[in-house]
Amino acid sequence: MNSDFQNNMPVYTSPAKLGRSLTIWGAISVAIGVVGFMLGIAKPVTPHRASSRPLRPPLDQADLVPNYSEINAKSVGRNRNWNSNFETLKQNAPGLFDVVTRTAAMKEAALHDRLRTRAFDGAPPVIPHAIEQQSAANCLACHAQGLILGDRIATRISHPHYSSCTQCHVEAVAGLPTSANLAASSTVHMEPSMNTFAGILRAGPGLRAMPHAPPTIPHTLQLRTDCLSCHGLIARPGLRTTHPWLQNCVQCHVTTTDRDTVPYNTAPDTFPAASSERNSHSAPLSSRNSPEGLR
Amino acid sequence: MTDLPLTDRRTFLKATALAAATSLARGSVFAQPPAPPGGSQLPVLPNVTWNKAPCRFCGTGCHVMVGVKNDKVVAVTGDRQAEVNKGLLCVKGYHVGMVLYGADRLRTPLLRKNGELVPITWEEAIQTIAQRIHSAPQKFAFYGSGQWTIPEGYAANKLMKGGLSNNHIDPNARLCMSSAVTGYISTYGVDEPYNCYDDLDHCDVLLLWGNNFAEMHPVLFSRVVDRRLRGENVELIDLTTRHTRTSQQANHVLLMQPQSDLAIANCILHQLVERKAWDQEFVEKHCHFRGPGDPATLMGEPISFEQFCHSVSAYTIERTAEISGLSPQQLRMLGNLFADRKRKITSLWCMGMNQHTQGTAINNLVHAVHLFSGHFGKKGDGPQSLTGQPSACGTVREVGTLAHALPGDLRVDDEKGRQVAEQIWNLPAGRINPKPGYHTVLMWEKFCSPSATEGALDTLWVQVTNPGQSLPNLHKLFERKSELSGKFLIVSDVYPTATTALADLVLPSAMWVEKNGIFGNSERRTQQWFRMVSPPGEARDDCWQTIAVAHRLLEMGHPGMQDQDGRFLFHQEDEQGQSIPIWEWQHYYDVNVDERLYEEYRRFSTIKHKDLAPYDVLSQAHGLRWPVVKQPDGTWKETPYRFIEGSDPYVTPGTGVQFYHSVTKDDRALIWFRPYVAPPEIPDEAYPFWLDTGRVLEHWHTGTMTMRIPPLRRAMPSSYVEINAEDARRLGVQSGDRVKLETRRGELILPAWIDGRGRCPPGHLFVPFFDERLLINRLTLEAHCPFSKEPDYQKCAARVSKAMS
Repeated sequence: MNSDFQNNMPVYTSPAKLGRSLTIWGAISVAIGVVGFMLGIAKPVTPHRASSRPLRPPLDQADLVPNYSEINAKSVGRNRNWNSNFETLKQNAPGLFDVVTRTAAMKEAALHDRLRTRAFDGAPPVIPHAIEQQSAANCLACHAQGLILGDRIATRISHPHYSSCTQCHVEAVAGLPTSANLAASSTVHMEPSMNTFAGILRAGPGLRAMPHAPPTIPHTLQLRTDCLSCHGLIARPGLRTTHPWLQNCVQCHVTTTDRDTVPYNTAPDTFPAASSERNSHSAPLSSRNSPEGLR
Repeated sequence: MTDLPLTDRRTFLKATALAAATSLARGSVFAQPPAPPGGSQLPVLPNVTWNKAPCRFCGTGCHVMVGVKNDKVVAVTGDRQAEVNKGLLCVKGYHVGMVLYGADRLRTPLLRKNGELVPITWEEAIQTIAQRIHSAPQKFAFYGSGQWTIPEGYAANKLMKGGLSNNHIDPNARLCMSSAVTGYISTYGVDEPYNCYDDLDHCDVLLLWGNNFAEMHPVLFSRVVDRRLRGENVELIDLTTRHTRTSQQANHVLLMQPQSDLAIANCILHQLVERKAWDQEFVEKHCHFRGPGDPATLMGEPISFEQFCHSVSAYTIERTAEISGLSPQQLRMLGNLFADRKRKITSLWCMGMNQHTQGTAINNLVHAVHLFSGHFGKKGDGPQSLTGQPSACGTVREVGTLAHALPGDLRVDDEKGRQVAEQIWNLPAGRINPKPGYHTVLMWEKFCSPSATEGALDTLWVQVTNPGQSLPNLHKLFERKSELSGKFLIVSDVYPTATTALADLVLPSAMWVEKNGIFGNSERRTQQWFRMVSPPGEARDDCWQTIAVAHRLLEMGHPGMQDQDGRFLFHQEDEQGQSIPIWEWQHYYDVNVDERLYEEYRRFSTIKHKDLAPYDVLSQAHGLRWPVVKQPDGTWKETPYRFIEGSDPYVTPGTGVQFYHSVTKDDRALIWFRPYVAPPEIPDEAYPFWLDTGRVLEHWHTGTMTMRIPPLRRAMPSSYVEINAEDARRLGVQSGDRVKLETRRGELILPAWIDGRGRCPPGHLFVPFFDERLLINRLTLEAHCPFSKEPDYQKCAARVSKAMS
């Protein structure tokens, strides 16, 4: 093809032909110029950019862009702590009739995992990832139906009647960019958030009337009206029900209330004698609440 | 102001969220949520006893159930039988149990010796205070709090006004809601909202006047917005100076210039006049018109309807648009809103309107908008102020711990009021000083003046508050104390604070469920709780501290500590008539002192028809809204709406609405005109930015408690300055950079946060005040409302630059 092309090349050009092609080329140049000018004076189209677009992070905090070859192994950006590699990013929610294996160790691990984000049993869990500061609506992108990504589980909301998520749930680690030299401006002595509160760590376990009887529900159902939020398919493995196809949980599992509200007109026995501890989780709070643990 | 570009995205997100929630909830649960949600049972926890208490933090007054085991609080849950919160709490409430257990709780009295705070005995502490007071009773002042329990505030008030004949007692609530008080008094003749939180369940439109409702009163906010998930249509209008989490949920975000709320309210009134859309029947039957007078006074002077129309006619849409920055369309939208009597409008406000150099005026105007338009007196249709502290209403407004007030809405400068108080307290005639004492700003000015100056104060006792962080212009009003000699600052608190840093004597206090208590929340609801756990170390009740000092003064021979029969001011006796020495700590709990003081105080409550329930009735309820009136069958009934026939038993049948304590003594409320007045400090070339201060969701006020709660502190570990993205770009500032903030009063270096929790418009800055390491109040202005004496923390001129590190 190359040789054909060379063969077809004219070897010389006559003055007349030269004049005509100059005219054509001139006309084309003028046309391009005119079109370019018209386009130039037309209103320039700039991409719409919301003024709320976040600023570039300071250079020393900016992430380096990884090589393509490294992209599977490296994670960058705000969610880099999510171990977001392609292997685990696949949604792998189990099927309704998959066999559920659940061991005592798994249950223990699940209960322990729950406590990493809770100051005590019944406290709203803190959010173990960055959030959009102003809008709670983003939460439902993952938490409306629940989501499993590798070993990360976004449980589905157990109280869908409530829409103001950040009223109760706050970030485990602040989204606020903190300044390194902040402590230097301290004028008043204040220890970093030491607190000796030791809360109830776990309600339960549920009781069984006899071996193999369905256990009672050891916690209240307040804000936990959707049992499957914690015990359904998308849940910590150790807490999952072995029979997710049975939808009416309270048919067999009942709440137990061995203590209701005390009569208000009596001052409580303020200083009851110390009694023996029944709960198994007695790890000191400080070790559970370390910031590393919350990550 | 232009529409924010995020509106589209917000709408999209809301739609997505709603769609998601709907699909999730389809079929089974989209109807009403269970009430109370989850039933009323408490968690089954071995050896845990549960009892009720109001939350320790804000003025919402949520009830919590407190789980106690082995003398420690171990769990907290929302009280499902409480009407205020219906079982829900905010993140602060769920962690309120942890406030007791900060590692640095104050455990022993500390006296400053050679510059160091050293432990001393309670005996020495009480003796020291009594000696200071006894040597110069009129140079002593008491600075209290809207976090005082009702009996604590009552005891302090009685000690000062009934015992020492000294009216220098004022609370931190002066900095927080005194403009609402003057607003109510000058409009209705008597303080406190006529309505209640039920309005939130019934309104069609919620209008927020400078109130970041989502972060300040989150439980009430969700009470409104959660109605949308139930398919109800409630429109949220956010009149604000910055874009917040509240704006995010709002249907209309009206970004206004600071102080222009005055012009906007007048413009609404003008539009109602112009299109003859005011409620003629309601106005003719129940209202009078009033103008400020010249010079302006709290009670102003009567004006005619024509004068009123003429006055508001200056606030045309064009002029108001110029002042406020709202578009004419937005102003017309507000006018249309109030002209339409079919939709129920609830107006809410808190610090945005109260911390205002025209605080009384703007309160008057918002009441006027509702009265004039007839949006008043129906469920969901009326104006209501919110408070920031758990007992600002109960302990400050009702107990009258203000420099001019006596319990039961009586005044010290009114002879009849003094006589009534002297009679109830069994004091000799003339004991109560007729001259009002120093209000907060003046009190601290006098304490920070050399002893030799006229009217200077030398000894000041602070209970349950942290003025070293919360006063405006701290250099002038607090920190100058360290340069003066002869000053003695006594601080009763639970943790070291910016105030204890300059204290000469620190007293460790019991807090919350470590003592008996009674609070009164924003909706006239009085709430009682019992002591559930022991305080740490030597910490003792504030009320005991006051009584112990009073008794020591009695022993020193101060004549004021006796009533006219020679009995101790806080005399208590048992069933056999034997005196109980409650001033001795080991005997303080021999009797329920709270109950005794409350029952004594309750006699004041009927004077202005604010009847409180008896203690034993209160102790069985989840709070009761006064007036609580005894029924023929012996039960006690609360009053959700005052002045409204059918709800308020004191309204004469057939009147419909009766303002029975009205200023004009003819059962009519006043519709005020108050002019727009420019703010005292406006950005100029040298200080080109507006500086606004406030709160965030996670922290409550000065952070003394919430900064010691790990989940809250981690979520919001330090203060910051919110700055507009364009301004930041121009200044070369990025999120996390340290910036220097300066006003004419001081400077501060803080990290910048751009488009974080909120978004300021160009030229505006916002800084939260919870961080004691970053005292923003060194920069704020102490200029205050001429009537309420409440300073304006919401606007002053500032400049900002990138800090060199």
